[in-house]
Amino acid sequence: MHDFLLQRPAWYVIGILVGLVTVGLFAFINERVGVVGGYSQLIERATHRADGLSWKAWFLFGVLGGSLAFRLLAGGSTVGDGYGWLTRSFGSHAYGAVGGVLLVAGALVGFGAKLARGCTSGNGIGGSSVGSPASLVATGTFMATAIAASFAIRAVT
Amino acid sequence: MKARLAALLLGAVFGVAMSWGQFVNPDRIRDMLLLKDPYLYLMMGTAVVVGFLGTRLLRRYRVRALLTGQPVTWKTDKVSPRYVVGSAIFGLGWALADTCPAPIAGQLAQGAFWSLFTLAGVFIGILAYLRWQEGPGPERVVLPQGLDPRTR
Repeated sequence: MHDFLLQRPAWYVIGILVGLVTVGLFAFINERVGVVGGYSQLIERATHRADGLSWKAWFLFGVLGGSLAFRLLAGGSTVGDGYGWLTRSFGSHAYGAVGGVLLVAGALVGFGAKLARGCTSGNGIGGSSVGSPASLVATGTFMATAIAASFAIRAVT
Repeated sequence: MKARLAALLLGAVFGVAMSWGQFVNPDRIRDMLLLKDPYLYLMMGTAVVVGFLGTRLLRRYRVRALLTGQPVTWKTDKVSPRYVVGSAIFGLGWALADTCPAPIAGQLAQGAFWSLFTLAGVFIGILAYLRWQEGPGPERVVLPQGLDPRTR
């Protein structure tokens, strides 16, 4: 079980699982998959902008619970050691530099996803699955930007 | 309540998929964004094909959502600048941190320390957006003396 879960399965296994989650949300509650909306609800609830939590927050709790269950079943982490290019460039104890970049990057992710009304799942999978022109343009834009930015980061590090 | 439970369970499947597919690993995402590894693109392509076929079938056979009773339907959005600008900002953050909202939750649940910083950033970004959308509150608008209805 451990090795089975710690090895990445074929891409179509995960693709089909994620596609079925998209279809499942429509089949059960007629909603489009998305994750950033869950974070937003927690903020809106905590700052008294909203009274309760809808399915979006519960979907996010599910992502947390599913990942925790996976971690326990797999007996190991799939996150990897350190934190990618950041700890390789700045060192694994550079809390200020690595944490600072992650904080800024997270803020860009949060702000950008709210402005674009969706993240990789909301626009990239949910919106693209129903053929929403805005989501297809959003997906093309964040893919192109992230690829270009990654090559730029590699060039300077 | 049943709708929340369905969302929780489907979210759990999504979380397992993120962790098992190793989308929680920043090096995996970086390899994909540097075009060294096609896994992410193939996975997303498969998910969209399954999602596209599944949702069309539900709509074609006029299936009603099992828990809400509504006919399965959706709205599509027209392209507007917010999608391009927002996604460009999002893409920059994605490339810097090599992670996005669902994998951040996966990293956190798997006990990855560094995800705390990204998570805090996401909350700050969302809060900044909400405040920006709300604009200056009435208490922040400075009116000349005598024109402010609260002091008149």
